[in-house]
Amino acid sequence: MSVNELLQLDNVAKSFGSTVALEPTSLSIEDGSFVAIVGPSGCGKSTLFNVIAGLLKPDSGEVHVADQVVTGTSGHVGYMLQKDLLMPWRTVEDNITMAARLTRGVTPEDRAEARRVAHQYGLGEFLRHYPHALSGGMRQRVAFMRTLVTRHPLLLLDEPFGALDAQTRLEMQQWLLQVWKEAQRTVLFITHDVDESIFLSDRVLVMSPRPGRIIADFANPLERPRSLDVLTDLRFVELKSQILHLLHGDS
Amino acid sequence: MDSNSQDDSVSTVNLDSATASRGLGGFTRSRRRAVLRNVGIPILSIALLLLLWQAIVVVFHVAPYIAPRPLAAIQSVTDNWGALWPLVLGTVRETIYGFVCGTILGIGLGVVMAKAPFLHRMVYPVLVLSQGVPIIALGAPIVLILGFGIAPKVVIVAWIVFFPVTVNVVAGLSHVDQDLLNLARVYGASKWRTFFLIEIPASTTPLFAGLKIGATYAVTGAIIGELVSPSGAGGSLALYQEHANTNFNVAGVYGTTMVMTAIGISWFLLIVASEVVATPWQRRTVARRSLLHREPDVDLTSTGH
Repeated sequence: MSVNELLQLDNVAKSFGSTVALEPTSLSIEDGSFVAIVGPSGCGKSTLFNVIAGLLKPDSGEVHVADQVVTGTSGHVGYMLQKDLLMPWRTVEDNITMAARLTRGVTPEDRAEARRVAHQYGLGEFLRHYPHALSGGMRQRVAFMRTLVTRHPLLLLDEPFGALDAQTRLEMQQWLLQVWKEAQRTVLFITHDVDESIFLSDRVLVMSPRPGRIIADFANPLERPRSLDVLTDLRFVELKSQILHLLHGDS
Repeated sequence: MDSNSQDDSVSTVNLDSATASRGLGGFTRSRRRAVLRNVGIPILSIALLLLLWQAIVVVFHVAPYIAPRPLAAIQSVTDNWGALWPLVLGTVRETIYGFVCGTILGIGLGVVMAKAPFLHRMVYPVLVLSQGVPIIALGAPIVLILGFGIAPKVVIVAWIVFFPVTVNVVAGLSHVDQDLLNLARVYGASKWRTFFLIEIPASTTPLFAGLKIGATYAVTGAIIGELVSPSGAGGSLALYQEHANTNFNVAGVYGTTMVMTAIGISWFLLIVASEVVATPWQRRTVARRSLLHREPDVDLTSTGH
């Protein structure tokens, strides 16, 4: 395994009964990169994530994170879903420090760090608010900060903006790119939105269902930083066309 | 009193809130109007009910030995307050002890049943059976076993209270968002921390629903206890009412009923108030300053936007 690979999967496979959710899959993710996974529902994206996060034990194969074998164990990644999963009975600050509270207890340093990221990314005024007082986009930002302060180098984001309206989603994508650049983490990002996968990533993996597997691995040619103009860049459109053909067959 | 405390919380919201300056100017007035609506209207409807009662008795010339005027019933209470007060305290004590025992039993059973499906199947029919038994019909055995002290009353109250608590705790614990529990697992949270930091707080709303149902029945349970096990020494509200009845003191009978009702309603309102205190996130936008974390906020607003 080369030095700058953060995540490596060796022939990881998972079935539920007779359904092959994930064919034997091997994958290397470079440290600090932003990798998008795009595919229709039922293609095994979430199974892949749950195996990496340790929620599911694969039938075979190994998961390595930072040169450690972590197959079937948890506590080594940040994880975020489409549902924000904020605790309604906790303030924004207490939601951000949730991982520490659940594992070892919250220290003053954790609180200071939570306040720092909240101030830095535009939620400083809302630290003492309860989640119900926030908009959908703000709630997802809180959920992302909660993921960020776990300090895990690898963040798994499973359609985090899937429930947001198009306008908010675009704002959140730009916001995420800014945070990702500053926080220097490795992001694995599931989406069914091809535009989103290209706009955000260094690399796009395309998955296909029945059985769930990775059918293509594209390097993203677009340079950073990216403005909204890349959405109409020829290389963007060409990559999008290739991915759409893979997802929807020939046309 | 009530509206005062509400006003306090409103001003705290305005002080705490970073958004207070943004168009929350009319907040206090609308909140005060809401309090008036929520407290004023119920009081008005009860007053109207008493007025209707008074009108029916007067208009239809109902004989005082059939039904008294409400004012006469109230007067019978105020005139005999010295004798009634210790009996009220007795009933309140039975209600509180029974309610606390029933709540502890109810929560304990609920947790065990939610966590052990096998025990759930074993225990559930017994619980339903326990509520199917007409409690009055158990009067004789209860007296034989527990005598005439406070114990039989407490047991009957607890018997009535634990059931709705258990059912709601089981429902609450079984419906915690599975994705939230998965998230806790991804973080590597222990079962205990997950239970106390996620499952318990996520179940507070159903728990209080059960407590409120229990509260409305608790005083009824205490009075049933006083009827089936009439304690000799100090007397009881139920006995007092029976004496009034045998002496053709109809106003006294109705007056005692009013007192019992007042105890029941007060107990219910106390539970509602404790729910308000225990679940601030259900009606507040911003949390109160915590007493636990007193360190000053880091002023980083300049690095924000």
